[in-house]
Amino acid sequence: MPLVDTHYQHWDGIHCGLWTRRWVIASNGLTACLRNKFLRNVVVATWSLSLAMVGALFVIGQLLVPDSLLVRWVSTLNTDLQGFANYLMNWLKDHPEISVRTTQDVLFYYFAILLMPFSIFAVGMAIPFLVTRDLASNAIIIYSSKAITRGDYLLGKFASVFGLLSLLWFGPVCAAWFFGNLLAPDWRFFWHARIPLFHVAVFGIVAMTTLSILALGVSSVSQKDKSTVAFWLVWWLLGFPLANIAAHTRPWLAHLSFAYDINQIALATFGLGKDLRIAQDNIPILGMMLRNIPQRTMDSFNNPPLFGSLVALALMLGAAGLVIHKRVRP
Amino acid sequence: MSDIVIETRGLTKTFGTQRALDGVDLKVSRGAIGLLGPNGAGKSTFMKCLLQLLPISSGSAQLLGREVGAEGRDIRKRVGYSPEQNCHIPGMVGCEYVTYCAQLSGLPFQAARQRAHEMLDFVGMGQERYRKIDTYSTGMKQRLKLSQAIVHDPELVFLDEPTNGLDPKGQEQILELVSDLWRRYGITVVLSSHLLHDVERICEQIIIIARGRVLVHDTLENLKARRRGSAEVVVADRHGEVLAAFQRRQWPCELLSNGRLKVEHQQASLNPLISLLDELRIPPLEIIPSPNALEETFVQALEMSSN
Repeated sequence: MPLVDTHYQHWDGIHCGLWTRRWVIASNGLTACLRNKFLRNVVVATWSLSLAMVGALFVIGQLLVPDSLLVRWVSTLNTDLQGFANYLMNWLKDHPEISVRTTQDVLFYYFAILLMPFSIFAVGMAIPFLVTRDLASNAIIIYSSKAITRGDYLLGKFASVFGLLSLLWFGPVCAAWFFGNLLAPDWRFFWHARIPLFHVAVFGIVAMTTLSILALGVSSVSQKDKSTVAFWLVWWLLGFPLANIAAHTRPWLAHLSFAYDINQIALATFGLGKDLRIAQDNIPILGMMLRNIPQRTMDSFNNPPLFGSLVALALMLGAAGLVIHKRVRP
Repeated sequence: MSDIVIETRGLTKTFGTQRALDGVDLKVSRGAIGLLGPNGAGKSTFMKCLLQLLPISSGSAQLLGREVGAEGRDIRKRVGYSPEQNCHIPGMVGCEYVTYCAQLSGLPFQAARQRAHEMLDFVGMGQERYRKIDTYSTGMKQRLKLSQAIVHDPELVFLDEPTNGLDPKGQEQILELVSDLWRRYGITVVLSSHLLHDVERICEQIIIIARGRVLVHDTLENLKARRRGSAEVVVADRHGEVLAAFQRRQWPCELLSNGRLKVEHQQASLNPLISLLDELRIPPLEIIPSPNALEETFVQALEMSSN
């Protein structure tokens, strides 16, 4: 007698819903990406930076507590320093909107921008797992023969790369915000930091959606892993020299770089120019340091070319959509 | 449950100026259905149009009583498909792949995993199910394709050249499995092949397609009845004596290289042939009526279409 029943058996269970099937595609795509050791290391790196950010926010928060270890330690160094610390504490207490909101806005802008190259690079590594390999192996036929449509497949793949970006980028930023404020000396920090969180959320969703669609488009360009990865990385890296050339020649050239365009959206979302002006005028010491920022840089912070960036990104997304429409079919 | 599983009205598919399907009208009832035709006849295109892998240019089609195009997801939940070419998902191991396919068809994870192992047992895959698919032989890939096509317990399964690239033993095993799907488990099978022997062995209904048109659609039994009048007779010995008796009746006959006697008895039934053998007191070991009916019908249909 065989150990296993090798007869065919009918199944009369209840089918899962459509969103579950889309979720299956998304989770499978994300799992495939994370099987790559290099990508896992990038995830660890971004979360380590998030931990460092939490540390920085903790230190800032401790400055508000008169008997905190940090303040006590500072006071042991020098009486002048103790006086300065007391002055700073009192100032921060009197101006929580500025001290918490503006500081966190500036910090989270730079933190989000700091994590962007990690995210773009990681997406480059993940691109073969999106559509490229499915096209190469004809797996697209198998997907199309199941109880899903092309739209469901693309939505699942979009969710894969969006999930990866959340893990690498949005997750660490949000975690830094949450734990940084959790470790603060006062619960009201959460309230004062609501605007930076809102900025992070708006920018994160816009940037991740854009990058995810662009990545899907690049992933559909070819059936060869090397071609799609090279396409993505070259496009990204070309943005750096293009931005420099554009600064001295034709400004529109800079919009060919998606990273540049996303950065302009970040500047506009966080309102960095306004934050820096407030900081320059109100925050002791730091304000003085910020006054050294060149006027030209301040101008670019104050008036980012948002319209040009939105148009450029819309055109890029349109092109990506066209490539996906033409290429992703059985 | 309706008996009609496939119904098409003027189904047409064009690629540029070329008509891959040219006004196909069909009503196919449940059973084991053989889709025959030479290479490039439109068999795969026909199946792909029904599964919505290709958009229909004009006409309409219903699968399991539902309109193709309007209810694609619901239809494919009840239909399985094993394509001709390899189409696995890179980097996956066999059982993971079949589980994933079951989940894509709407099975919850636990059920999907259990079904995947059951289907892999059914198609005769052992421990190799835990290996990456990229390392599989052609035979293993064919089995895997079959298991992913039936893992969600479909009512109808399309198999496109399932024995391609297999050795005779592998072909035999796959055909046995496919045959069981309808005969033992009631799953309607549409088997596309250019191998007449495969189709004849398994299928009860035959559809012959050439140049995008349906030339023949009938049961195998009816096709054989149309070609009555020939038979192959297997006898243990005294071949010469039997041949002589046939010749006396002026029935064209010959001794085949496999030892069988082929005779054109030109009668509606086998009774005169059996009576003759009885007169000779030669008990036949086997009598195969209309042995080449399908092949002859196929060739004739192709000739008619080219004329």
